[in-house]
Amino acid sequence: MIKKLAAIIVLVSATPLLAVDSPIGGVVQPKCSVWTDISGVYGHPLPYKLSTLPADGGVLASIRYDIAQADYYKAKITHPNSFSSSPTLSDAVAWTGSSIVGQVSVTEMSAYEAAKVTYNNVTEFDMTLAGSTWFTVSSTASYGNTKSLPAGSYTAMIKAECIAK
Amino acid sequence: MYSKVILFLGLLASQAYAHEMTPTYPELNPSYIDGVSVANMKLFNRRSDVEYYKIEVLTNDWKPLPFASTSKVINIKYSKSKLFSVYIRTEDVEKAVYICTESKVFKGANQVTLISSRICSKIKQSE
Repeated sequence: MIKKLAAIIVLVSATPLLAVDSPIGGVVQPKCSVWTDISGVYGHPLPYKLSTLPADGGVLASIRYDIAQADYYKAKITHPNSFSSSPTLSDAVAWTGSSIVGQVSVTEMSAYEAAKVTYNNVTEFDMTLAGSTWFTVSSTASYGNTKSLPAGSYTAMIKAECIAK
Repeated sequence: MYSKVILFLGLLASQAYAHEMTPTYPELNPSYIDGVSVANMKLFNRRSDVEYYKIEVLTNDWKPLPFASTSKVINIKYSKSKLFSVYIRTEDVEKAVYICTESKVFKGANQVTLISSRICSKIKQSE
C-alpha cells in the first residue's frame, strides 16, 4: 500500500515537468519557385506552320510562379525565336508568340497583364503580390514563304526567369 | 464514379515541376582564401525532367563574371536540395550583382516546347 502511494506521489510530482513550454521556431524568407505546369506541344495545322494554339491543335505552355513575399521578384518569360532542335531548314522561320497572365491566386494579380513590359520576344511582369500566378505562353513558327516543313522532330525553348529586384 | 474520375484528372493536372533557390539576397563574406569572398546558396530541384543546373555570377548588365564553385554545373536529383558555395574575387565583389541557376534541359520529344527555368538572387551589397 505504501509502495503504491509512493509511486502515485512520484508520478504526480513528475507530471508538471512534462508541461514545459516548447517553442516552435521558423523563418519565412522571400522565395520564388518556378513551376513548369504544362510543357507546350506544337500542332501542325498547315504544312508550313507549327503552333501551340488550341485552335491549331496545339497545347499552350503554362508556367506557375509562386512568390512567398510581395514585391521581391520580377518574372521574365522569353518565348521561342528559334528551334533548339529540328531537321535542316533551308529557309527562314517567322516566329510569333506571347506570354499572358492566366489563373491567379489573388484577384489583384490580374493587373499584372496591363502592367507587363514586352520587348523582342521577352515579357516582364512585376510580381508585386505574394501568391501564385500562372502564365500562359504561346508560340507559332511559320516556315519560308508557306513552304512545307521537312519531316522530323521540332523542339523550341521557353525561358522562365525569376529575378530578385 | 464521376467524382473519382474528376479527382484523377485533378491529380494529373496538378503534376508540376519546380525550381527553387534561396536566399533571395545572399551576403558575400570573406572566405578562408585571402582576397576571395563567398556566398552560400541552396538549390532545390523539384523538376523530375531536370538533373543539371548551371551556376552563373552576373553584373548589373547581365555580363558574366569569373567565379569558382565545386562545379559550375550542379548535378541534383529530383526532390533533393543541395547547398553550394560561390567564391568571387574581392576585386569583383562590387561588380557582382546576381547569382543565378539555370536548368539544363535535355532535348525533348516530338514537336514540343521545352521550358528552361532560371532563378536569380541579388547579392546584398555592403553599406
